[in-house]
Amino acid sequence: MRRSKVTLCLAVLLVAALAMSVLPSCNPATPPAGEKVIKLGLSVPFTGAAAEKGAPIGQGQLDAFKYINDELGGVEGYKIEPVWYDTAYDSAKATTIVKKLMDDGCAFFTVVSSKDMNASKEAANRAAFPGMVCFSSPSLTHPPMHIYAQLPDYGDDWAAFARYYLQNIWKGEGKPKMALMLLNNSTGYGVRDAARAAADELGIEIVAVEEHTATTISETDALTRIKDKSPDVIFISSTPAPTAVILKNAYDLKMTPGTTVGCAHASFTKALIDLAGKDVTQGIYGVYPTVNWGDNVPGMAKMMEYCDTRHPEYAGNNDYLIGWASSLINAETLRQAIKVSGGDSLMKGDAAAWALAEKNGFMNVKNYDVEGLHGPVDFSNPVDKRGSKSVKIFQVQDGKMVSQTGWVDAPNILYENFDWFGK
Amino acid sequence: MSLPCGIRNYSYNTDMAIIRTRTQWVLFILFLLFLYTMPLYLPRFGLDVMNLMGITIVSIVGLNILVGYCGQLSIGHAGFMAVGAYTTAILGSSLGLPFLVCLILSGFSAGLVGLLFGMPSLRVKGFYLAITTIAAQFIIIWIINHWTDVTHGSMGISVAPAGIGPYQFDSEASQFYLIMSVAGLSILFATNLARSRIGRAFIAVRDNDLAAEVMGINVFSYKLLAFFLGCFFAGIAGSLFAQWRGNITSEDFTFGQSILYIGILIIGGLGTAIGPILGVVFIRLLEQFVMFLSPMIERIFSGLPSGFATGLSPLVFGLAMIVFLVFEPRGLAHRWQLFKASYRMWPFSY
Repeated sequence: MRRSKVTLCLAVLLVAALAMSVLPSCNPATPPAGEKVIKLGLSVPFTGAAAEKGAPIGQGQLDAFKYINDELGGVEGYKIEPVWYDTAYDSAKATTIVKKLMDDGCAFFTVVSSKDMNASKEAANRAAFPGMVCFSSPSLTHPPMHIYAQLPDYGDDWAAFARYYLQNIWKGEGKPKMALMLLNNSTGYGVRDAARAAADELGIEIVAVEEHTATTISETDALTRIKDKSPDVIFISSTPAPTAVILKNAYDLKMTPGTTVGCAHASFTKALIDLAGKDVTQGIYGVYPTVNWGDNVPGMAKMMEYCDTRHPEYAGNNDYLIGWASSLINAETLRQAIKVSGGDSLMKGDAAAWALAEKNGFMNVKNYDVEGLHGPVDFSNPVDKRGSKSVKIFQVQDGKMVSQTGWVDAPNILYENFDWFGK
Repeated sequence: MSLPCGIRNYSYNTDMAIIRTRTQWVLFILFLLFLYTMPLYLPRFGLDVMNLMGITIVSIVGLNILVGYCGQLSIGHAGFMAVGAYTTAILGSSLGLPFLVCLILSGFSAGLVGLLFGMPSLRVKGFYLAITTIAAQFIIIWIINHWTDVTHGSMGISVAPAGIGPYQFDSEASQFYLIMSVAGLSILFATNLARSRIGRAFIAVRDNDLAAEVMGINVFSYKLLAFFLGCFFAGIAGSLFAQWRGNITSEDFTFGQSILYIGILIIGGLGTAIGPILGVVFIRLLEQFVMFLSPMIERIFSGLPSGFATGLSPLVFGLAMIVFLVFEPRGLAHRWQLFKASYRMWPFSY
C-alpha cells in the first residue's frame, strides 16, 4: 500500500513537471483579457549563489513594471507583462530559460548577472533575440551582436578609475605601479583583461596580479608579495566580504593609509564599510555606476516609495535601484519600438517582433536619462553595446561614500582587436 | 536475469539479449517512436530541456561506471566534463577539426586526465579518494582560468554547431537527434560493460577490493580503467555540452555541478543501468517544476511576504530530495524493479 502511494506521488510529480515544462507561460501580472499586452522576459537569479544581488534587482524590476502599468498606464497604451524565471545562478538553467522566453513570445529579454547572460547569449545571438544585461563583462558585448549592457562592465570600472587616478591623484614621475587584487571569476577577470588590453596605452605598469576566493579569510600572503613591489595604487575587483578582508589586512600591514586603493563596483557598497569599519575604509576610492540611494534625482522619490511599500528590506540597497532602472530602460526601449513599428507587431513576440524591437527599439534609445538614477543610456552606437558608459568615482570619508566626480565616461576597449580575446 | 512468467530461454544468445520478449520489443520500438517524434510536437524550450537531459545522462552513465559499478567516489565530474568541453572548443575552433573527431578526442582527453587523478586510488579509497577528485575539479578549473592563451580565460570560447559533412546540427531539433543518439549508445555500452568480465571485475573491486585481489583481479588496473571510462563519458558529455551551448567558460563547470551529479546518481540508483536515466529525468524535471512554481505562487497568492515565492524553489527542491531519500533510499531504479515485478505478477500480486 505504502509502495503504491509512493509510486503514485512520484508519477504525479513527474507528470506535473513535464506538463508545466511544455505549458505556455504561467507568470504573474497577467493583465485582464482585452488589454493590449507586450511580454518582456526576465531571467533573474532570485536564488542561488548570487541571490544577494539577484533578489533585490529582480524585485526592483518587477516593482518598476507595476509602477509603469498601474500609474503610467503602460507604454503608449500597451501594458507590459513581465515573464520571469529564476535561474538559481545555474548556467545550464539560464540557457534553457532564454529558449522558454522565446517560446513565450517575449519581445526581448533582460538578464541580471553576467554569468547567466554568458549562458544565454549564444542562443539569443543565433536567434537574433535581443537582450539586455544589468551586470556585464566584456565578453558579452564584444564583438557587438544582439546583447546590450545596461551598465559599464567590470573592465570599464578599472579603465575609468585608472584614468581618474592618472589625472587627479598621481603626482609622481613616469608610470605609476599598480597591483590588482581580483576575485577568481569574471568579476575579477574582467578587470585583468581590461588592464591587459589598456594599461600600456593609459601609461600604467601592472606590477602584480593576485587572486582570491569569495570565501577568503586572509590575504596577508598576497599583500606581502604586493608590498615587496611597492605599488603606488592597488585596485580591487571583488565582492564586499573579501574586499573587507583585503582592506583589513592591508591596514594591518601598514600599506594603508599611504597607498591609494580603488575598488570596482561589485566591491564598493555600503556593506563594505559596515564589514571593514570606518577607520580601515577611510580614504578608499570606489567606482559605482549609479547615484547614491536618496540622492536628489527625478526618479528617486517614486522608486523609494515603491521600495518602502513593497520591499522595505531593500531600502538603501543600490541593487534594487539598478533593477528599477533596468525596467525603466526596458520601457523606453519599448516606447521607441512602438513609436516606429506599432505595438501590435511587438505583441506577437516572434522573430519579426524581435527584429523590430532591436532595430526600432534598442537602436533608437539615445541619451535616455533613466530619470537621473544612473548615467545616460545610449544603444545607438553599433560598435558599442554598452548603454551607460558612465561611472562615478566615490571616496569613503568618515564612513560615508562621497562622490568625487560627476559622470565619468569609461573608454570603450576594443577587446576583439586582441588575439587573446575569446573568439 | 529475471523474466516474465512463463518465459524461458532456449539459447545463450537469447539469455544474453537485453531485449528478450516480443512485448519488450514492441514497447522499445514504441518508446523510440515516441522519443524521436518529440521534435514534432515539443516547443523549443521542451527540446532544450530534453537536450540537457541527454547530455546529463551521458555524463551520469560515466559516473555510474566509476562510482556505481567500481565504487570509486568521484566528486570532480564537472571538472572532467570541462576537459572534454574545452577539447572540443579548442580543436574545433582553433584547428578546425570535424566534430566527430573532436567528440572522440574529447572523450580520450578527459579519460587521460581521469587516469592521472585516478592514480591515488592505488593508495587511498572512500572519502580520501573523494578529496583527490575534488582537487581535480579545482585544479582543472584553475588551469582553464590561467592558461588564457589557449582557453581565453574568463572570456570563454565560442563553439560552432556540430556538423557531420555538410549537415549542421544548429537547431534544437537536430541537436536533439544527435544528443539522444549519443546518449543511447552510451547507455548501451554501459549496460553491456556491466555484464562483461570487466564489469564483474568492477563490481568485485567495489564490494571488497581485498577479496577481488585474492581472486586474481588486478585491482589497480581496474580502478584506473574505471577512471578512464567514467571520465571518457564525462568528456563526451562535455563535448556535447559545448556544441549545445555554443560557448563555454569555466563557470559552467562548477563544484556544485559535481555534487549535483553525485546526487542524481544516488537518486537514480547506484550500479544499475536504468538508474542514471531515471535520476536525470527526475532531477531535471524537478528543476523545471520548481522553476515554474515561484511565478505561479506569486500570481495566485499576491499577499505573500516579500521574497517568499522566490525563495520557495530551493526549499521545494531540497524537500523533494529529502522525502525521496527517506521513502526510497535505494533509488528510483529499485522502484522501477518493484514496478516491473508487480507488472509481471499482475493480477496475482502475491
